[in-house]
Amino acid sequence: MVTESSGFQRRWENRRARARSAGDEAKESYYGLPVIHKPHWDWWIIVYFFVGGICGAANAIATLARWHGGKEGESISRVARYLSFGMVIPSTICLILDLGRPERFLNMLRVVKLRSPMSMGTWILLSSSFFLSLLTVDQARRDGLLGQDNPLVRMLRWMPVRLIDALGVVPSLMLAGYTGVLLAATAVPLWTRNHLVMGPLFLASAFSNAAAAITLILGLRGRSVEGARHRIERLDLLAMFAEVALLVVFKRGLTRTVSDPLETGQTGKLHRYGVLGAGIGLPLLLHGKSIIGRSPSGRSVSIIASALVLIGGLAFRYVMVMAGHRSADDPKATFEMTRKRD
Amino acid sequence: MMSEPKTGAREGAMGFLTDTTLCIGCKACEVACKQWNQLPADNFGYTGNSYDNTGDLAAETWRHVSFVEQLADDSGARPTSLKAFQSNWLMMSDVCKHCVNAGCLEACPTGAIVRTEFDTVIIQQDICNGCGYCVPACPFGVPALSPIDHKAHKCTLCYDRLRGGMEPACAKACPTDSIQFGLVEDLMERASDRVENLRQRRVDGAYIYGDRETGGTHGIDGLNAFFILTAPSETYNLPAEPELPQDKTFPSYASTILAAAAFAIGAALSLRGK
Repeated sequence: MVTESSGFQRRWENRRARARSAGDEAKESYYGLPVIHKPHWDWWIIVYFFVGGICGAANAIATLARWHGGKEGESISRVARYLSFGMVIPSTICLILDLGRPERFLNMLRVVKLRSPMSMGTWILLSSSFFLSLLTVDQARRDGLLGQDNPLVRMLRWMPVRLIDALGVVPSLMLAGYTGVLLAATAVPLWTRNHLVMGPLFLASAFSNAAAAITLILGLRGRSVEGARHRIERLDLLAMFAEVALLVVFKRGLTRTVSDPLETGQTGKLHRYGVLGAGIGLPLLLHGKSIIGRSPSGRSVSIIASALVLIGGLAFRYVMVMAGHRSADDPKATFEMTRKRD
Repeated sequence: MMSEPKTGAREGAMGFLTDTTLCIGCKACEVACKQWNQLPADNFGYTGNSYDNTGDLAAETWRHVSFVEQLADDSGARPTSLKAFQSNWLMMSDVCKHCVNAGCLEACPTGAIVRTEFDTVIIQQDICNGCGYCVPACPFGVPALSPIDHKAHKCTLCYDRLRGGMEPACAKACPTDSIQFGLVEDLMERASDRVENLRQRRVDGAYIYGDRETGGTHGIDGLNAFFILTAPSETYNLPAEPELPQDKTFPSYASTILAAAAFAIGAALSLRGK
């Protein structure tokens, strides 16, 4: 449900900067008022980006681990698959409750519009959860959760699992990354300025979050799955390094005006200390010994590090959405983006 | 040789020409719009921004008259003589631009936003589910979610009146014909003549905002509701060269797919047993 907290404020709530007259403000903009409207998005969408990302990346990891991971891959795959399935329902709930009229969610399924990431996102979520559900049922069968020998189990043995796995990995990967494209295809300066990096950035974050969540679960399950935990941790580190590289590329492409919401104020602080510090820097520091010594980290280190990565992942999405609001409210940023180019 | 048309508007497209040099800031358009479309009063407040207490286009405000009192000239000094037309006091009745290629329409995931037989863009209220994606997808900040029914609303160019053979309420009510309604190609011709005439009368800054050169740029290809302005567009809170946001969708997907392939390979390698 939409709340009154964001997106609905009328523009005089964007008060003039202190000690500036209307005449002064009217020189470089229209009284400092926003040129474009910001979206109403807040917690529902932020949480959706977070759990949806984990859902997509975890399913892709489950498939890849099963194909390439050998015996230890099986235990990664099992955790990843159930985790991914567990995220489908909160994803869908968040996506529906974010609507102004949740009872009309099904209207999303009237059309397929390739150029609208919101439309494609709905279809991506729907198709990936379809494949994911089948794969989870198969996982449950192999884990003996559906009983040993009954008609259902016998029927499920006929399922072309490898094919479903192969088909499901595509929408899963897109689910992990399309949220960046969703933000990029708008008029909001911060999101659209570096549009090519947005999708990969959200994808990298989704991968690192999913890997961290799997690491956390394996870590809590104890020493029996130590080998599997070390391998998924390698993936987490890889994703985190990619995320850092993409963040550098992303921020280098922004001008000072456009990147301002990432540098100043509450979103700036959260970006610096929450996303970069607690979410990426601290976990890398904790793993430092293992990265240098090329030996796996201990269980407690890895539990703390992956919890931090998850908090950082949620903070990253909060910062990107809320900094986008500030960016949309800043006429200087919009004018800079749309100034005459020769 | 035929010269390139000034707008990408399709044949038979209907639209507005809003000539700001004729606007007297009476807000009759705002009132007429509210009355015809039965739009509720919105959070009416005092802005302190000249005579503009409307603030912006919103879910319940589909015409918005902006006021800019130019107290000082470019050198910062008080002007000693008044310019022709509007006398250093700019007024402009803003409205949905009914873009030739519309960001809101392309963003809409339900198909609620459609193009009508008049080539205008409307939001079908029985279909909109309030996802709000059209709101940041508009480069001009036009559609907005209503705090009353939580759906997106914007100017319909009085679709109901057009169906009945009447002109839109704002154009009908405008006492100076600052707002003119008609075929876009006719209006564009009229606007060109008017700009030339204004320039002859020493309003050197007069130009059309909403042709392919200004306003309707980078994929938007023209505005069916366009304007004659006498100051830089940013003075009126209009972006100089806005882009169609959806032109970035496919390139962004492509980079995401490339990254996804790279991640899949990276994941497979790091998960592989020794």
